[in-house]
Amino acid sequence: MTETKEFNVPFSKEVASRYGGETVMLCYQCGTCASSCPVAKTTEKFNPREIFRLVLLGERQEVFQSNAIWLCSSCYNCQERCPQMVELVDVFFALRNIAAKEGHLPKIYSEFAFALMNDGRIVPVSKFIERKREQIGLPPLKTIGTEALRKILAVTGFDKLLLKKEVES
Amino acid sequence: MENLKIGVFLSDCGKVLTKILDFDNIISFLKEIPDVTVVERGTEFWKGSGLQTIVKTIKEQKANRIIVAESLPKLSEIKIVEAAEAAGLNQNFVQVIDLKNHCAWPHRNVPKEATEKAKAMLLASVERAKILEPIHKLEFPALKSVLVIGGGISGIQAAEDLADLGFEVHLIEKAPFLGGIAARAGRFFPTDDCAACIQSPTSDVKTITHTSRKCIYRSGIAAISGLKIHTNSQVIKVEGQPGNYRITLEKKPRYVNETKCISCNLCSEVCPIEVPDEYNANLMNRKAIYAIVPNIYPPTYVIDEQSCKFHECEKCVQVCPTKAVELDQKPEISTINVGAIIVATGFKEYDPSVIKEYHYGEYHDVITNLELARMLDAFGPTGGRIIRPSDGKPARRIVFVQCVGSRDKRWNDYCSSICCMISLKHAIMIKTVFPEIDVSICYIDIRTTGREHEEYYEKARELGVKFIKGRPTEISHDPESNVLIVDVEDSLLRRFLELETDLVILATAMVPSEDTQTLAEILKIDIDKDGFFKEYNAKLRPTETKMRGIFLCGGATFPKDAPSSSLQAHSAALKAVKFLNTGKIVKDQRTAVVNEEYCGDCEFCPVSCPYNAIELVKIDEKHVVAKVSDLLCEGCGICIGTCPLNAIDLRHFKQSELLSQTKAILSINGQDKPLILAFCCSECGGASVDSAGMTMSNYPTNVRIVKVPCTGYLRIEHFLTAIKNGAQGVMVVGCMSDGCHHEEGIKMVEKRIDAAKTLLKEYGIEPERVELFNTIFVEGDKFAEAACAMTGRLEKLGPLRFSKEV
Repeated sequence: MTETKEFNVPFSKEVASRYGGETVMLCYQCGTCASSCPVAKTTEKFNPREIFRLVLLGERQEVFQSNAIWLCSSCYNCQERCPQMVELVDVFFALRNIAAKEGHLPKIYSEFAFALMNDGRIVPVSKFIERKREQIGLPPLKTIGTEALRKILAVTGFDKLLLKKEVES
Repeated sequence: MENLKIGVFLSDCGKVLTKILDFDNIISFLKEIPDVTVVERGTEFWKGSGLQTIVKTIKEQKANRIIVAESLPKLSEIKIVEAAEAAGLNQNFVQVIDLKNHCAWPHRNVPKEATEKAKAMLLASVERAKILEPIHKLEFPALKSVLVIGGGISGIQAAEDLADLGFEVHLIEKAPFLGGIAARAGRFFPTDDCAACIQSPTSDVKTITHTSRKCIYRSGIAAISGLKIHTNSQVIKVEGQPGNYRITLEKKPRYVNETKCISCNLCSEVCPIEVPDEYNANLMNRKAIYAIVPNIYPPTYVIDEQSCKFHECEKCVQVCPTKAVELDQKPEISTINVGAIIVATGFKEYDPSVIKEYHYGEYHDVITNLELARMLDAFGPTGGRIIRPSDGKPARRIVFVQCVGSRDKRWNDYCSSICCMISLKHAIMIKTVFPEIDVSICYIDIRTTGREHEEYYEKARELGVKFIKGRPTEISHDPESNVLIVDVEDSLLRRFLELETDLVILATAMVPSEDTQTLAEILKIDIDKDGFFKEYNAKLRPTETKMRGIFLCGGATFPKDAPSSSLQAHSAALKAVKFLNTGKIVKDQRTAVVNEEYCGDCEFCPVSCPYNAIELVKIDEKHVVAKVSDLLCEGCGICIGTCPLNAIDLRHFKQSELLSQTKAILSINGQDKPLILAFCCSECGGASVDSAGMTMSNYPTNVRIVKVPCTGYLRIEHFLTAIKNGAQGVMVVGCMSDGCHHEEGIKMVEKRIDAAKTLLKEYGIEPERVELFNTIFVEGDKFAEAACAMTGRLEKLGPLRFSKEV
C-alpha cells in the first residue's frame, strides 16, 4: 500500500542545525557508508544510509522509534570513506542527543549513564572481577570519587537528559 | 578654447511623457542656462527625422556638446553617437540620458516633483558637458597568425579551421606525437567510430569532399599551407600584447631528423632496450626508439632520452638507411609572432592511487578506463583481448566502479561528466565481442544527458550488463585464487554484495593537464577552483578568457566528449578570426590615465586591475610609476577607487565630471523628503535602475541617480562630497557580490563603504546613511523597494547634522 504523507523537511534542517549534524544535508545516498559498516553487516536493524534517507525525508518518528541510531559503534569507517565528507558518526551523536532529550533513550544506555554518575564507571565492579584480579595478583579496584565528574555532567546538561527520562518513565 | 554650444534634445516618447513632465517648464529652464544654445523637443531622436535634427544642429548651428533625453538608453545611445561622429562631433561630447525610465515612469504619481527632478538631471548633464574632453580612437596591429597550444582533438580542429581561413597557424604539442588523450580512447561515443583517426593526418588534401565524413585521418591537416606543427615543444615565454604576441618556444630534441626519417622501423627492431609503454598503459613494452602507433603525425620516430644509452650503443644510428638518427641534437629555442593564442591543453585521467581503499597501483588487476580502452583497441597491447594484467589470463568477470575521485569532496568535487558514457561504451564493446564475460557497473547515478547517450544505457541493459546502485567501499584481493572482491551495498535491495571479479575498471575523474598552472602564469590568465582554465563567462563569453586575444577550447576548461570539444574548437577559432580579421584592433581611448606627478612606488593598482592592464615602470633608480595599457584597459575605473594618492583618472569619466554631476543633481530639490544620491554601476546595478522604470515600479523623487562605470570606481571622498552637497544619504547600487562584471569592483566598494561608515561615525554622522545594494537587471522592483526603504530610514533618522566640521 502506498502512503500519502508530507515530508517533514524541517527535521533534516533541525538535525543540520545541531552540533555534529551540520553535514547531514550533503548525503547523496551512494551507500559507501553501508558497505563500510561492520554493524550493518551483522544486523538488519542498522543501515546508516537508510537512517540518513529517513532523516532527509523527515521521517522523525521512524528514526526515533527504532533503536537503530544507538547501534552505531563509532568505528568511523564510513566517515573516513564518505565521498561527500559527511560526518556520519557526529550526525548519529546529534540524533542521539535529540532522541535523549525527547525521552527516546534505550534502557541499557540509561543504565550505563546512571552507573557513570553513581560509580564513575560504566561497567559495575562485580564480585567476579574482584576475584579474577586477586587471582592474577592485581590490587583491588579503588572506589572513585564522583563529585568532580558529577560537576562536569551537570555543566554539560547530561544529568538533565537523564532526569527527563526518569520523570517520563 | 572654442565657445560652448550645448544642444539639448528632449524626447517625449510620442507625448506619453507630457502627462507627467511639464516640458514647457523644462524647456524654459534650459533656455536660461548660459551655453545652452539649442533646445529641441520631439517624439524620438535616435532615428529618422529626429536623428536628422541632431545632425543638423551639429552641422549648421555648430553645437559642440549634445545632450539627448531618450528612452531605450543603450540602443539609442549607439545610434546617436554614430550619427554625431559622422557629423564631425567627438563621441565623448554626446550624452544620452533616460528621462523616461529614471524619472517619468517611476514618479508618474507626482508630476510636479518629477519635473523638478528632470531639471536636476538635465542640469547635471549640462554641467558635465562643460568639462568633457574628446576621446580618440586608437589602432593597434593585429597579426593574422595564431598559436594553438595542444595537439589533441580540439587543438587540431581549431588549427585546421584557422589555416583553412588563410591564417598562419602554429600548432604546438608537448608530446612527440599529435593526438592527445582522445586518440588513446579507442572509440568515441556517440558515433562509435575510431579515435585513432584524429591522430594520423595524411597529406592528401584533395580527396576530402564536403560529403565525406570528417575524419582527420583523411583530412590532410599536415599539408594545409600556413599550418606549422611543432611537436615535442612547449611555450616558455609570452611577451607583447593582444594582437601582437612574441612567443618563445622550446623544442625538445627528438634525436631523429624529421625530414630524413622514413618510418621503416629498422631502428626499433635493433634497439636492445625495452621499457614499459606508457601510451599503452604499461601493458606491453616498447623500445627506446619508437613510434606509438603505425599511423602517426609526425611520421618520425623518437628516442626516449630517459632510457636510451646514446653513444654507448648507437645500433640505431648504424642501421638507419637515411642517417636520420642524430644523437647529438640539443633543445632548440625559437620565437614566433602571433596575434592570438588558443589554449587547447585538454585534461588527463586522475591518478586513483591516492584512494587507498581501491588499491590501484597495488593490485595489478585494478585498472582505469583509459587503460581498458588500450586493451580494447585493435592497435593496442592485447589486440583487443581483455586480460588480467597480473597473469595475462582472460578476464571472465569485470566490475566497473563509477565516480572514482570525482563527486568526491576528498579529491574532486565535480562530476567529470563523461565517465558514465565511457564505461557504458566499454561495457557495450565488451559484451558485443565477448558475450560470455560478466559485466557489472557499480554507480551512484548514471548520467547520460547528451544526444543519443541514453541509447547506450539501454543497449547495455539489453546486452545483460548488471547495474548495481551503490558505491563500493573497498576492493580486496584473494592471493590464493588471484581474484578481486568488490565490497558494495546494492542499495535498492538493501543487500550487501561481495562481487568476485577478475578485473576492476575505475571510472576515474578527469583533471586538468599537467602544467596547466604554469601555462596560466605564462599567459597571465585565470584558473578556476578545480584547476581548469577559466572561461570569462560560461553563458555570454564561452571559450574566451578575460585577456582579449587568448581563447580556450576543449578539455582545457572542463572534461568534455569529442563532439563538444570540436564545437568549442570551432568557437575559439571563430573568435580568433573575429579578433584578428581586419589586421588591426580599433579601440576608443576610454581608458585610465595616470598622473605621474602624484603616482609613485606603491602597487595597489596593478594588483587590483582585473585586466592586468597596469604595470609598474621604472622612472629612475629608486622610483616606479604605474603605466596603463590603452589596449588592455577596459575603463572600469577600479584603479581609481584603489589609488591611495588619487593619481588616476578615467578619460571618459573624470572625477571632476562625477563631482559636477553630484553638485548639480542635488542643487534642485522640489520635494520634501531627504535627498539621496544613488551611485549606480553601468552594468547590473544600473540596469536594475533602468528596469525599475520599465516595470513602472514607484519610488520617490528624492532618489537622484548618477551612473559610474563600475562601483569599484567610487572613493570615500565621493560619498562625502555627496553628503557635503546636500545628500542626506548615499546608495551604492552595483552587481551581485559574486557577479561583478569587472570581477572585484563590487567587493572593493563594499570594503570602502565599511570604511566610510567608520569615518562618518567619527564625524558624528549615522553610518546607516551610506548603504550598498546588490541587484541584477530583472530586479527593478528590488531597486525601487531599496530606494523606498532607504528614504524611510533617513526620514526616521531625521535631518543630517554635523557634530564636527567635515
